[in-house]
Amino acid sequence: MRRAPVVIGATVVGLIGVLTFHTKSAPVTLGSLSGASATQGSTTTTAPGSSPGNNSSGASSPPKSGSNAGTSTVPSTNTATSSPSATRSATGSAVNYHYGILSVSVTASGKRITKVSIGSINDGGNFRSQSIDQQSIPMLEQQAVQAQSANIQGVSGASYTSAGFQQSLQSALGKLGL
Amino acid sequence: MSPTSPANATQKESRHVLHCLERVMGTVVTIDIYSEDGEASDHTYLQVARARDILQRADAVFSTWKANSPMSRLRRGEITREQAPPEVTEVLEECAKARRISRGWFDPWAMPGGVDPTGYVKGWAAQRALGALASAEISGAIVNAAGDIASFGAMEHSQAFRIGIVDPFSPSRLACLVELTGAIATSGTAERGSHLIDPYSRRPTARVASASVTGPDLGLADALATAVAVAGEAGLRLVETLDDYEALIIGFDGTLRRTEHFPLASPVQLQE
Repeated sequence: MRRAPVVIGATVVGLIGVLTFHTKSAPVTLGSLSGASATQGSTTTTAPGSSPGNNSSGASSPPKSGSNAGTSTVPSTNTATSSPSATRSATGSAVNYHYGILSVSVTASGKRITKVSIGSINDGGNFRSQSIDQQSIPMLEQQAVQAQSANIQGVSGASYTSAGFQQSLQSALGKLGL
Repeated sequence: MSPTSPANATQKESRHVLHCLERVMGTVVTIDIYSEDGEASDHTYLQVARARDILQRADAVFSTWKANSPMSRLRRGEITREQAPPEVTEVLEECAKARRISRGWFDPWAMPGGVDPTGYVKGWAAQRALGALASAEISGAIVNAAGDIASFGAMEHSQAFRIGIVDPFSPSRLACLVELTGAIATSGTAERGSHLIDPYSRRPTARVASASVTGPDLGLADALATAVAVAGEAGLRLVETLDDYEALIIGFDGTLRRTEHFPLASPVQLQE
């Protein structure tokens, strides 16, 4: 009767929930937040199928490249805590979501997530699904990465699709030991 | 005995000890637990199990997607309120209260197809689930029902939970950060099309791109977020008159307005 719970214990120290990364960092300004996301964005767009090496070098370097003037204290702290910076990738289990089936891929450098993307998606050509996915999937990919940059514990205003997305993401994180 | 060392000080930190994901109410609800001793006890696991049961039961009772749920049967007139489980009456009374507080801008009785408390139930259930997590061992907890979030306590160093609000015009970004005490709900049209109904005109309407409401109770915060998204500026003024509840709206022109004490984590302006 009960569905198998996805319960991950203390092994996820360092990772809060699906969308968050646990570090002791100084408060983030929006300047640093969007600076980080700009960096992540370029990483993601260069890339469906590019080598993990690229991703990690792009995202693990402190996002000073962001042209924003905001002081970004977060990245240095994060870099300091992620000493074993081996780059690894995993794809989460395929999950039924409201409009189809999807799986999520995660690339991590040390304990830091550097990329989150859709590994596969099958919505059966459902038009409604496509219009939703086109908007919300990139959003969810970026939120997952951005959330750890911003050191936040959740996002308000998330979407329907996040159900399947989060579940597959969680399973991918589990495989990476995060 | 040496004086308090930094190591001792850090032992008092509250740490994230448990993350749990429950598929329920057509979405996923996540539960995060923080504890000062850094461990989840058997009792904590039991509490989480209770919280999950609360969510599943709320789904079973109130789902309007399930043809045989008590709520569906009530809507079809097959049973009376008295014959339905007691929480149906509780929720409908809370909905009536939320309708009154929101001066009619939140109105489950104005939904197409008869009374539909769905817009209230998710927040109400998450708040109830959070209630099951109260204990001396748990220093902080978050129940996140697909973006509507109930919480108590805090993280290490009593640092408040930080929640991002999605930028409705660029959903891959966050519009701002909130230092959360209690609950936050966000309603808007950015993602799911115009699913909001104006109770006065009974037509799909939203007067702002996004409305977020914080406060002690997620059920009411959720109802108020819906009300403010439909009512716009008038809704913001309405929330300003309420004790303990605060609101933030993002207009279709990108302007960001808030009630005086809305708990922004840092002063920000909407980018671009």
